[in-house]
Amino acid sequence: MRMYNIGYFFSQAFKGIWRNGLMSLAAITVLLSCLVLMGSFSLLVYNVNVNIEEVAKLNEIVVIVDTEATDEEVEALSGKIHALDNVSNVVFVSKEEGLESERSRYEEYSYLFDSIAENNPLPDVFKITYEDNSRVANLVYALGKFDHVSKVNNRTDIANDIESIKSGVSFIFIWFLAILFVVSIFIIINTIKIGVESRSREISAMRYIGATNFFMTTPFIIEGIIIGLISAGIGYVLQSTLYNAIYNAMSGEYKMIAVAPFADVQNYILLGFVVIGVVAGMVGSGISLRRYMKV
Amino acid sequence: MIEFNDVSKIFPNGTVALENVNLKIEDGEFVFIVGASGAGKSTLMRLLLREEKVSSGVLRVGDYDLTKIPNYKIPYYRRQLGMVFQDFRLFDKKTVYENVAFAMRVIGEPTSVIKRRVPTILSIVGLVDKYKNFPSELSGGEQQRVALARALANNPRIIIADEPTANIDPKMKMEIMNLLAKINSKGKTVIVVTHEKNIVDHFQKRVITIRDGHVVDDRIGGMFDDENV
Repeated sequence: MRMYNIGYFFSQAFKGIWRNGLMSLAAITVLLSCLVLMGSFSLLVYNVNVNIEEVAKLNEIVVIVDTEATDEEVEALSGKIHALDNVSNVVFVSKEEGLESERSRYEEYSYLFDSIAENNPLPDVFKITYEDNSRVANLVYALGKFDHVSKVNNRTDIANDIESIKSGVSFIFIWFLAILFVVSIFIIINTIKIGVESRSREISAMRYIGATNFFMTTPFIIEGIIIGLISAGIGYVLQSTLYNAIYNAMSGEYKMIAVAPFADVQNYILLGFVVIGVVAGMVGSGISLRRYMKV
Repeated sequence: MIEFNDVSKIFPNGTVALENVNLKIEDGEFVFIVGASGAGKSTLMRLLLREEKVSSGVLRVGDYDLTKIPNYKIPYYRRQLGMVFQDFRLFDKKTVYENVAFAMRVIGEPTSVIKRRVPTILSIVGLVDKYKNFPSELSGGEQQRVALARALANNPRIIIADEPTANIDPKMKMEIMNLLAKINSKGKTVIVVTHEKNIVDHFQKRVITIRDGHVVDDRIGGMFDDENV
């Protein structure tokens, strides 16, 4: 390919987009709508996962220490707990702190706690949060084996429920996203195909002049790539604007659900939009042109 | 030289479009091909363009044997032909200048050569002033002149015009035909497929008459023979 042809192909591609304005606009609109739809759905899946993980983080194991244990023995137990795998945080609540906590919880009846202050019946406890729900049973087993542990209270049932909800939600969402992706690609390719077919006379005239398949197809393929890039660019701006508006609306002081900031995912969204846009544009043009490539 | 040796074309549905056609057209000739609708003229054109393959026989155009030409060489073969169609087949979204320049782009001519040559060709067909116009802004006759300019752009050895005067007003018909005659006088082979008796009779060139897939008459200085057609 001669160098001056590269410039020519690009100029033809831009002219093609401009002079077939309505079809180009239709292709860009459809493509960016599909991209924003897929992007929104991906962000929804991402945020659902983030929230499920947040809920999972609320789960904790409470280790009740034997009331007979000395301070040194409690100290040693603390060291062993910290050394365990799958432990993200350990909070020690002494029996005195436990009593104060109960007193403040039932403030109106605080005088009742005075009578038991001398002989505090509450045990020392460790509140443990963990990283991975799926391995919580192993952690509970290990804690139960330590000396001076009177009891291990945990909510394995909730942990298991959360884990299965997360897997179920991910499974459904990933399939839904895959279907949405296939449908979107189909719509995009068809829109580009209509655009190319509206120029079938132009393509057949090129053949009679003696244009090679490469010469005929290259400007159309470049056109598809440019349409893909324009759609990805506009789609990205639209997506970030929409998402940030929702993020700002939902990130009040008393927010019920966590919304991940757009910055966490912006690179993935941009990359996804560019790749899907360019591939859809290119494949759409390629498939549409194939039928005109007979001799 | 164009040479048909016992050329037949039978379509997959069994239709015999051409049967045992034998023809020789020398370089620099001007030939009219006449015949009724369905006689086989279009098939003959399609074979020359190598849009269709011959079913049997041998068809040669210049150095190319069209019965054996590989697909990748077909675009290069077509660059030796200048095609003019009755429906013009111009690029609607390109200007007059770009339509002519495109044919030169196809063969890889540099921009400097294109810029020099396109105005010259447009002056031959009398359309220099309209180089910025789009085909939709031109009359039928003017569009056909653009098609002719595009056909001439790469200095082809053969011009094939398929009903070139069918969609233009009577006054412009003679103008287009005079242009083709002028091109022929410069040494190019011109083949015109037409239905128009007055044009054929006026130019007194070689006339090949086709009927039911056979060449039924071939004479130089011939007239449009209603009985044969």
